[in-house]
Amino acid sequence: VTVGRAVFGDFLDATRGHLGSPAVLRRAASRGGDVQEISHSLLRVVIVMGRYVQDVSTAPGQATPVTAAWGRAGRDARSGLTSAALLLHGDIPARRNPDRPAGSELARRLDAVALSLATGRDLLQTHVAQDPDGARELRSEWWPVVNSPPVTRALLTEMALLARDIAPLGPWVAFPAGTGGSPETRRRLNAASLRHRLTAACEWLQFLGDSVRAAHQQEPVSAADLELLRAIPASRLPARELPDGSEPVTGLSDGVITAAERARHAAWASAKVPPGSPAVTVSSWRRVAAASTLTGHHCAILLRSLADRTQDGGPGELTAGLLQAADAAGRASARWLLVAHALDDVTTDTQGQRSEAAAGASDLALWTGRLAYADPQWTLTSGPRHEVRPPRSLAPEPGDVPLAVAAVHHACDAMTRLAYADRDQVKAAAAADRILVAVTAPLDIWDAPFPYGPTLRGQSDAMVALYDYAGDASTQATASVADAAIAVRAPSRVLAAASAATGARHERRPEPTLDVATAPSAAGQPGDRPGPIEDSLHKLGVTSPDLLRRGADIDRAGERLIIQAAAGHEPRDRQPRAATPIRSAGSASRVSDDPYATESPQREAEP
Amino acid sequence: MTSLISARDRLEQAAGLAAVLDAAYDAFESMRLAFRVHEDPASSLFAAFVMAAASAADGRDAVAFAPSMPPRRHHGAAGTGPGPPGGDSSERFADEAARLSQLLGAWLARAAGSASDPGDRGACERAARCACEICDLLGGAGP
Repeated sequence: VTVGRAVFGDFLDATRGHLGSPAVLRRAASRGGDVQEISHSLLRVVIVMGRYVQDVSTAPGQATPVTAAWGRAGRDARSGLTSAALLLHGDIPARRNPDRPAGSELARRLDAVALSLATGRDLLQTHVAQDPDGARELRSEWWPVVNSPPVTRALLTEMALLARDIAPLGPWVAFPAGTGGSPETRRRLNAASLRHRLTAACEWLQFLGDSVRAAHQQEPVSAADLELLRAIPASRLPARELPDGSEPVTGLSDGVITAAERARHAAWASAKVPPGSPAVTVSSWRRVAAASTLTGHHCAILLRSLADRTQDGGPGELTAGLLQAADAAGRASARWLLVAHALDDVTTDTQGQRSEAAAGASDLALWTGRLAYADPQWTLTSGPRHEVRPPRSLAPEPGDVPLAVAAVHHACDAMTRLAYADRDQVKAAAAADRILVAVTAPLDIWDAPFPYGPTLRGQSDAMVALYDYAGDASTQATASVADAAIAVRAPSRVLAAASAATGARHERRPEPTLDVATAPSAAGQPGDRPGPIEDSLHKLGVTSPDLLRRGADIDRAGERLIIQAAAGHEPRDRQPRAATPIRSAGSASRVSDDPYATESPQREAEP
Repeated sequence: MTSLISARDRLEQAAGLAAVLDAAYDAFESMRLAFRVHEDPASSLFAAFVMAAASAADGRDAVAFAPSMPPRRHHGAAGTGPGPPGGDSSERFADEAARLSQLLGAWLARAAGSASDPGDRGACERAARCACEICDLLGGAGP
């Protein structure tokens, strides 16, 4: 799902690789080693596992509690790991020099496991930081995912699988080959012996595994949840890149994904900018709206090309779904264009500065355009006569379709987040009286020092409504592409899982009535500013309630007319087509996948 | 197209900072309105027009808040609108808009150099950058 970024799954794979399959581990145990050294190495592993479990139960901003069964499993895991750590720590007189490699293969494997696990935990923790006052501060849009119930359950499951693999070490080390754990051998193990403690610690690990298994049987963890955990990237963003014209089509898809990740992060970060900041400008909003209009347009082109490509031998449902997604992306583009038009008539009290979100949106428009058009030098400034990339160039082989779908999926997702981020920023700026509107009074009659005046509540509400419509349309496009991504098993399918995990909601309004002016919140409320007609009547000294009411009615009718006219300009030829939604057999089977039922291939691999 | 030619004429005849700002405002607004009329998803100039309209609005706003900007009066150039797109091809319109933005950038850069008020200077510089962006987007050489 990410390009050139470390993901948590990398460290899980490394952990499993270091531990090896049960057969490998048993062989390593049979080669013997110093029991104290092995206990110490196991203690390292147990401590890191304990930190993971502690993290998921005390994480900041945990909005939704995990269910009772998983809550119990988490508590059992904590107590099991604490008990194991106490047992392993008890007889260890001194810490081993961490730079000195262990003497036995088994201890070396456990040391490597502890290191991989610790690095993986560091990766998850990059999404949150402590400010100078000690308060935790979120650093990326991924933290709600890290902290979500599905990922908590997936993490506990991974810890349990690891614990289950390690648990047999107790008897293997305590009863080396030949002794077989005979009664005589057992008698020799008194309660204080190192071997006894190691065995008991491993029994606590087995307890952890059993507790999590019980929770899983009650409320199964889906393969999608495990996949989502593995896909969590480090918070550090990839560097900004612009195409140089030499990229192969796969490189262009990667470029789109990177640009989308940067735009998505910038959208998330824009929520931190206070509405009074001079960095909040109409220039940024205009860039985002213009660029997102183009991104949606390019995504529609790409999805039609992909539909054309999959028509040849691919499943008909996939083609229909891609066409449906293309229509949805086209609608998103049209709605973004309405936002762009509306922004022509307003300004902010500071101008010029352009945000990271504006830069990210522009880059995304450029990268999606490079992918959509055949000209390797295509730019936003390209003149007429550029051809759309042929479907076979977009995905030369059927196996190339998933990456192209992933690129479009990322682009649509970023476009959605930009819509809601800017909507919220516009709303906050309006509340802070930062937005000015073009004066529409007849300028040949009135001279005005500036051709702008304060915004009226109905006007800012109308603008917010247009953002909502753009956000809704972008959300629908993202959902349609997500169906295709799941169907072709594109790597971006975890985006849908991430949204589901965090219960992403954007407080969308109901599908537009476009009658903002008549909405109860839009007019007639105490504190509303009067419209231009009503205001003029006030200035003329009119106090008649009837006249003032009629003036307010005229103002509202004018606002309604503008909104309806704006909506009427929306699609030219973008009516949704009737198409069968994609239903992915893959997705259905994944939900029922049982992480306990099968071993992943990596588990069998020797390092 | 007529509005662009008229805006160019006004700009060429503008004398003094206030007149340049006033003419620049109308030039940006004329271009913005015309871009909006010509932007059509089926056209291969769609991307350029959508982005150029944003730059035109930014340029218009920049000069609108310049301290020496005279009170707005109705001049007719921007107010009459660009007319329907049918008469001119998008390519011809883009060429004309590129020429106007090039001229606009040059005049604004010159105005920035001669403005004594830092507010005017900053406004002219920002607006000149917007004019350059439009020129670049439309394939012009830039001022």
